[in-house]
Amino acid sequence: MKTKVLMLFLAVASLGLTSCNSNDDETGIVIDGIDLSQDVDCCSAEEALQVYKFIQTVKIIPELSTTVDDKYEVWAYSKTGTLHKGYNDLYFVVTKKKTGNYVKFFDITSITPLMHMVKMDMWHSTPVGGNFEVFDTTRPAVKRGWVSLLMNTSDAGSWQFSYNIEVLGSKGGVQNKAINVDALPDGQEWLKSFKVGDDTYYLSLVNPTDWKTGNNTIQAYISKKNNPATTPYGLATETFTIEIDPRMPDMGSHTSPDNTPLVKQKDGSYQGNINLTMTGLWRIHLTVKDTKGNIVAGGDDLKDGFSSLYWDVTL
Amino acid sequence: MIAFILSALLSVDSISTPSHLIDEVVVVSAANEGRKRSAKGKVASIDEHLAELSHVNLVRRGSYAWEPVVNNMQIERVSTTIDGMKIFYACTDKMDPVTSYVESSNLQSILLNSGLNGNPQSTGNIGGSLDLKLKKVGFSPLPAPSNSPLGEGSRPDGSSPLGGIRGGLSSGYETNGHVQVYGVDASTSSHWFYANGGAFYRHADNYKEGGGRKVSFSQFRKVNAFINLGLRLTELDVLEGTFIYDRATNVGYPALNMDVSKAEAFITSLAYRHQFDHPVLNTWETKLYYNHITHIMDDTTRPDVAIHMDMPGESWTSGLYSLLTASKGSHDVQVNYDLYYNRLFADMTMYPGGAAPMYMVTWPDVGTLNTGVALSDLVSLPHQQSVKLSAKIAQQWQKLNNEEGYHALRVFFPGMKDHYVQTTGRIAATYTWQPSHWQLSFGAGWGSRAPTVTEAYGYYLNNTFDQYDYIGNPRLKNESAIELNGAITWRPSAHFSLGADANTFLFSNYIIGQFENRLSAMTVDAEGVKVYGNLSHATIVNTSLNAQWQALPWLTWNGKVSYAAGRDDDQDPLPLISPFAYASNLDVKWKRLQTRVEVRGNVRQTDYAPKYGETQTDPWAIVNLNTTYTLPLRQTALTIRAGIENIFDKRYSTYADWCDIPQKGRNVYVNLAWEL
Repeated sequence: MKTKVLMLFLAVASLGLTSCNSNDDETGIVIDGIDLSQDVDCCSAEEALQVYKFIQTVKIIPELSTTVDDKYEVWAYSKTGTLHKGYNDLYFVVTKKKTGNYVKFFDITSITPLMHMVKMDMWHSTPVGGNFEVFDTTRPAVKRGWVSLLMNTSDAGSWQFSYNIEVLGSKGGVQNKAINVDALPDGQEWLKSFKVGDDTYYLSLVNPTDWKTGNNTIQAYISKKNNPATTPYGLATETFTIEIDPRMPDMGSHTSPDNTPLVKQKDGSYQGNINLTMTGLWRIHLTVKDTKGNIVAGGDDLKDGFSSLYWDVTL
Repeated sequence: MIAFILSALLSVDSISTPSHLIDEVVVVSAANEGRKRSAKGKVASIDEHLAELSHVNLVRRGSYAWEPVVNNMQIERVSTTIDGMKIFYACTDKMDPVTSYVESSNLQSILLNSGLNGNPQSTGNIGGSLDLKLKKVGFSPLPAPSNSPLGEGSRPDGSSPLGGIRGGLSSGYETNGHVQVYGVDASTSSHWFYANGGAFYRHADNYKEGGGRKVSFSQFRKVNAFINLGLRLTELDVLEGTFIYDRATNVGYPALNMDVSKAEAFITSLAYRHQFDHPVLNTWETKLYYNHITHIMDDTTRPDVAIHMDMPGESWTSGLYSLLTASKGSHDVQVNYDLYYNRLFADMTMYPGGAAPMYMVTWPDVGTLNTGVALSDLVSLPHQQSVKLSAKIAQQWQKLNNEEGYHALRVFFPGMKDHYVQTTGRIAATYTWQPSHWQLSFGAGWGSRAPTVTEAYGYYLNNTFDQYDYIGNPRLKNESAIELNGAITWRPSAHFSLGADANTFLFSNYIIGQFENRLSAMTVDAEGVKVYGNLSHATIVNTSLNAQWQALPWLTWNGKVSYAAGRDDDQDPLPLISPFAYASNLDVKWKRLQTRVEVRGNVRQTDYAPKYGETQTDPWAIVNLNTTYTLPLRQTALTIRAGIENIFDKRYSTYADWCDIPQKGRNVYVNLAWEL
């Protein structure tokens, strides 16, 4: 695994770095702007390279990025550098200002998106994932979590975000930072809710934009609304099964075979399989059942014979 | 299996195909007494020429690009080659059988081998093989030419008003649909070099069915140009090249939901032939070829289209064959090696109003590399007996090059691979005995074919015949059949003959679409989904009786009846099998004028296949009248052909008319051919 990757923006600077970096001789890895000297808090050269490669695939969210104690830079990322309605993966990376290397040990807590509803002058939060955690051990300095935003920013309301961070004993964070939440394009509906008694649950579909024609893993989370609503909504503790019936409304409700229901995984998410026979708009009709097999949401027959609870995904 | 001997004609064909290896020939471009040809002569379409072959029926989806059916088997089970070249259609809906990519003016003749006794280049020819022989003017013999190749309306003497260059003009008009045909060709020939080429234009508006109602979307337009070149390198070595460009535009398909905006083909080849001066070896020909077809469907001119869609398809084929002929003692032997690589890609984009387009790959860029060795031997035995043997073994490798199409198919076949290997073969033998006044033959064979790309990998191909969406099945087994055939002809005098022939095909693993209720149709209004599958067995039987009587020197009568049947593994009828059919004609010949009155028809189709979505076809009969007159004009010859088809303007459709679209009503035509 001695990958020799040279990413040189400034050849001179890199030469300068290599001359005073004992690691280079061993691994041959050079990353512009990062001092890869041994630092127990930070990544090794190989790990740093993996982190560096990863952050090329995502974009910085400036509103959620900050500095801690003037020693650490905190970088927040999403796929597009913006947020949209529904499920969003968020990634955090912390760099030491002095060396530019990625810090391995930090904690992001209490991430709290809040929406201000203008008309009623009320505040509510939204489903969020639990802790931000390392999701790939080859790049231990990247932590991932998610938020699933109930609405997009509009005249009706706007969002602000808060979170706390602790980096190697230093504390910081972002408080009530306004941030725009984009609407999804037509033909995309990734967040739906249902009620059981007085409880409201949210069905967040994870990253359907990664889907392709053929067989795909379908992943979702079920969150439960909190009381008070200004506390972020955690995962529902109950266990459900989500049955899916993907249809193409523009193609006479054409469907695909061998779709499997989403069932609860150890990590709290729900996973199943969905087959898509072509690109275009797929309406995934949902039937949510409890552990006894009773229908708790969806599964009703509208005039066209499909559940009124559905996600829309356009490939 | 009646052998139509055609030595006189083929002697001018620059590729010598021994006529005794061929079952049937239709002449396209040369005047030749007593041979099968279309009454419309040179101006007739390829489809009209094909219709003359007795084992051939044509499936019509409009007035253009009919699908040849041989021994009641469609093109999946028939090999079609152009001068031995492989070429594959590019439309997932079979709107473009490869016979639609040539024009009559390109061809010398169409050769048919019935059943498994295929021509050397054919593979998968369970029903038969068609070879479209290109018209090559050929080299003039030494000394200086005095005997010209026979052309339509051959000049009374051998000289030409244009010196070394000969030309021809042809034109045709038909009242029904305002069909217009214009053709021009020219040729030059010496002992060392020949060139012939031509251009053809064909145009048709919507035709009228019997009774006068217009059949919308039955128009077409076609241009075709070709050139053949030959260069004699030495007395025994010859180089020949061919180029054909064919383009049909604005082609309507009244039986389908879509039309075609463009169907275009480039066909090229380069051949080297060596004539041996050797007691055993005769000729050795090696040909390299390449062809490319682009096919673009179009529904923009149709009213009330639920969803507009684009459906282009492309086919690329390049290959070679090398054919060695030899004779020793009583043996005439052909050995052929062939290799080709074909790619087929088709996709479909649907545009629902306002929503995102929907896209799917319907042929996943399937690359097929096929190579085979064929052998045939004609053994002449004493007492007018002969035995014809032929065999071929071929291996093919297929790869699905399009990821998206491959993953889409995997939804239905999770265990499938992106590459497959198939081995196919055939072996057939025919024994013939021709004592005086009799001709007897019987034969047997076995052969197999690999599934076509549509059958193995087609994706949601809507079939308007039964209104089902078809999905290919990569797990199909090769289909195979045992063929038994026999024929007898009694010819007590030169003026009378009576013949009967019959063949039967006993299939194993017969490939046909099978209901899959588990799946949901894609096409709006489709009945459901079928997936291709193997039936453990199926049977097709063809029989015919024919008679000819020359009652007077100027009067000849021909009559023919045929009957066929097909059964699946439940003894239910197979679809698209001809009902009992009859044809009878009277030829009157007076000086330069020939007249033919013809009656043809089918009885009610009782043996139709409702299980496969077929509906019953009513009986029909029509009367046609054709006349031909050859007028010598100084050193040129003008041939006039005129006639009336469907004189009584009957409204009818045959069992092979897709979705029962009606045939043409009364049609008066006049065709002129002028040889300079």
